[in-house]
Amino acid sequence: MKVTIKHWHAVAQWRWDTGKSEPNSDDSEGDVCGICRVPFEGCCPTCKMPGDDCPLIWGECTHIFHMHCLLKWLGTAASKQQCPMDRRTWGMPTKFSLVAVPC
Amino acid sequence: MASDALRSQVAAKWQESFARLNRHEPGIAGLVRFSHAWNVALAVLRPRRLDELKEDVDIELVRSAFAVINGGRRLPFLLETFLEELKKRYWMVGKDVEEYMARFEQTENAEVIRDLVLRLVAWFKHWAPLPELRLGSTIYSAYTLSFQTHLFSIVPPSFATGFKALVSSTLSASASTTKSHGHDTDDPNAPIWQSFETLGLIDRYESIIATVGYEFIEHHVLDTCTAEWSRPMLSELRDWMSEKVVPWMLLIYARGATNAEEARSMLQGVGSRFDFHINKTLCDLRTKEIFDIIIDFPESNGALMDLKDCLQRVDQRPALVKALRQANRKRLLHPGADTKLILSQYVATIKCLRIIDPPGVLLFKVADPIRRYLRDRPDTIRCIVANLVGDDSDSPDSLLDDTIDSTSGSGGGQITTTNPAHLIDDYSDPNWDPEPIDAGPEFRANKPQDVLSTLVSIYDSQDLFVKEVQILLAQRLLSIPILSNTTVEDTNGTTERIEKERRTLEILKLRFGEMALGVCEVMLKDMTDSKRIDSHIQNQLSLSSSSSTPPSSADINVVHPTIISHHFWPSSDPSAFSSLSNQHHHQQQQNQQQSSSSFMLPGQFKTLQSTYLSQFTKFKPDKTLRFLPNLGSVTLLIRFEDEREMEVQVGAIEAGVLELFNMKGEEEVEGDVENKEGAMLSLDELIQGLGGIDKGSVLKALLTWIDYGVLEEVEGREGMFRVLEVENDRKREGGGGGGGGGGEGEERTRQAVAAHVHAQESNLPPVVSAQQQQADQMRVYWKFIEGMLTNLGGLPIDRIQSMLRFAPGYDQSVDQLSMFLDAARREGVVVFREATQKNKKNIEHFVRPVKSQITTENLNSFFDHVVAIYLTGARGLSIFHAPTG
Repeated sequence: MKVTIKHWHAVAQWRWDTGKSEPNSDDSEGDVCGICRVPFEGCCPTCKMPGDDCPLIWGECTHIFHMHCLLKWLGTAASKQQCPMDRRTWGMPTKFSLVAVPC
Repeated sequence: MASDALRSQVAAKWQESFARLNRHEPGIAGLVRFSHAWNVALAVLRPRRLDELKEDVDIELVRSAFAVINGGRRLPFLLETFLEELKKRYWMVGKDVEEYMARFEQTENAEVIRDLVLRLVAWFKHWAPLPELRLGSTIYSAYTLSFQTHLFSIVPPSFATGFKALVSSTLSASASTTKSHGHDTDDPNAPIWQSFETLGLIDRYESIIATVGYEFIEHHVLDTCTAEWSRPMLSELRDWMSEKVVPWMLLIYARGATNAEEARSMLQGVGSRFDFHINKTLCDLRTKEIFDIIIDFPESNGALMDLKDCLQRVDQRPALVKALRQANRKRLLHPGADTKLILSQYVATIKCLRIIDPPGVLLFKVADPIRRYLRDRPDTIRCIVANLVGDDSDSPDSLLDDTIDSTSGSGGGQITTTNPAHLIDDYSDPNWDPEPIDAGPEFRANKPQDVLSTLVSIYDSQDLFVKEVQILLAQRLLSIPILSNTTVEDTNGTTERIEKERRTLEILKLRFGEMALGVCEVMLKDMTDSKRIDSHIQNQLSLSSSSSTPPSSADINVVHPTIISHHFWPSSDPSAFSSLSNQHHHQQQQNQQQSSSSFMLPGQFKTLQSTYLSQFTKFKPDKTLRFLPNLGSVTLLIRFEDEREMEVQVGAIEAGVLELFNMKGEEEVEGDVENKEGAMLSLDELIQGLGGIDKGSVLKALLTWIDYGVLEEVEGREGMFRVLEVENDRKREGGGGGGGGGGEGEERTRQAVAAHVHAQESNLPPVVSAQQQQADQMRVYWKFIEGMLTNLGGLPIDRIQSMLRFAPGYDQSVDQLSMFLDAARREGVVVFREATQKNKKNIEHFVRPVKSQITTENLNSFFDHVVAIYLTGARGLSIFHAPTG
């Protein structure tokens, strides 16, 4: 007997590749944005669409947030351009110079 | 003794009387003439037998005799004497009456009564004072009265029955003779009515006559209108009445009318009484039929219009409500009725009662039990939403269509949650109307809502609906295959189907609001995104395949995943899936504990997945994919040894099972194992090969393949399955007597496996239903409860509930909690103890954990129960029984 797959309608869910956890691990809850406490795969409070419309941002300090959340934070005077988690000055790591290239 | 004074007084009286009778005539001549006149008058008046002719009397003589009596002012005495005489001789009439009545009682023939009446009239006329005497109406009326009084005193009770029969015969007679309007024409019954009138029967038996009329009407209404709902009957009935009944009524009620105008005014009162009776009868009939009328809606529109008109004249609204509620309770609100049916009947009820009673008071009263019942049904929401979303196969008059209508009509009112401001009447509204008088205190004169919002308002919040909409939408979207236009022809209309869902969603948004359905929006976007990503990746793959690796290209082009944003899809969390399937099959629990990883697709699928994944990460470097292996569908082409080919579309687990056989076969080919029997695998091997999923699902998949004739269970070795490489000849022969054993064996296999499957019944829907989610949620709170009981000892349920309220997202009611705890008790995880403190309930249940008994095993079977309870919706379970020590 030979079985050939003609068509496979699979179902998959996408994840941000945060590089932290092994994507197929059972820790399905995933991480949440430190600012809005919404999962990364969700969207920040101002957005309606997750994914490319509400991308993530990586800091030098390896903290990750929704980009919109972080930019809003950085926009406030109280932020002093620091990462809200560890109070280090916010900076983009060179290797992640570009986040989420929408096609 | 007598004094002089007395003597003189008597003498004076005597003189006076004598003088009056003698009229101052000489001697006693006057007196003699008076006595002569008295005798003459009495002789003329004397009642005699019918056959006894009156001797010829000299009218002049008699008249002068009366004049003499009158002159002596003795006429009243004459009358008295005459009536006395009448009384004495009335036995003659009585004899006749007895005779006729005896005959009637024997024959039951109304004609006998007719004869009797005619006979009585003859008596009456025979005994009446001669009209020529012009005696004045006083004497006549005194005579009539006396005659009738005597008559009524002697007629037996059966006369009433006879009279009724006679009257109704006259009625049907005059009804059957169709004739032109007008009361002077020769109705055959006019004479008999004249006689009735003469004898005073009409006045005395008026109620009987009316009853006859009413019964006649009732009979006709029941005859013509029963189950005749398509057109309004009321006007027809009125026509019939004026044609058939009114002529008859004219005889009775408009007797003595000289012209049509007079007749009309005389008929007015009784006519409206009869008209009322028509209304009432029709109303009663329709009230009795109301349930079926509603079923027949909209064909029964006519009946509803009738009922509306009738209800305006007849105060039958409470009766209608009562009848309908009773019918609903008896015929609709019982466990045998399908929720879908109840819903459609409810919708029809809404529409019907809105026709009958636009303000909605009736509806409010009738709908209440239905709504309460629907609230208790576990699948109500699903039915409503399924109707909303509307399957293609659905009838055109789904709820959605109504919604569209009403939105275009009323400008699309959103369903607003009950807002106190809406409940207060707006007194500045110039069109304000007071509530109808029969409205109950809870009635709210809502603005006429459309059907959908009425249905949604069965529940207190619309969240449940939104959730169910999501689940249904998810199911439907996942069934849409992702086919990118560039590679495969868009035969299944992927775009079209997504667009259709989008349209539906837009309509629902008008109802539920933009915010509530934002999640669904994301789901739809996922669909279009998946399509875009897929077409891009397919392009990339075909580009790369044309340059380098040709063999893999054919394979990779077949994967077309739907990529979902898992936070926005109902419970598409893989752990939720696996945990749920765990709960259902605790015999596999040990297995599950060891290998926590669940279903994995083997062989080709794994490679296909990883190829696709690598392409995806190239396309979207910051993202990765996690496949949900138990969702989706696969189309397989199976080629057998005997060159048979077969193309089937199956679920993922089925595909995985077959792939395992496929791999096994290839191994054997490579290893040069002799392979006549086809690849063979045991059930345990299969379970292991698929990553240790539960037995039930595997058995179900095996059953599917056995049905297709691809696999069979090896004879004599239970739990071993092999591929049927060569089509079963014996089966092809039609299972006839020849081969015998083998065919039977296969049938047995099928049954055995089927029995397995039924025993396990693992028929999980691909997406978890709301109730399962709820049960799953309870699992989280169990941790809280467990901790609470371990730390604090026994607690009453109320206390547990109030502490759980602090837990984030806890929304269960006390009843739900106690149901949950009851399930826990039956599993032996907790026990109930009765306490005797005086409390509101008098008996309070303490719950304390049985520490020693809490093991993983019975915890899991306990959750099985909880899920089962949620699934069956057995809400009525009482916890107040059999408390254990």
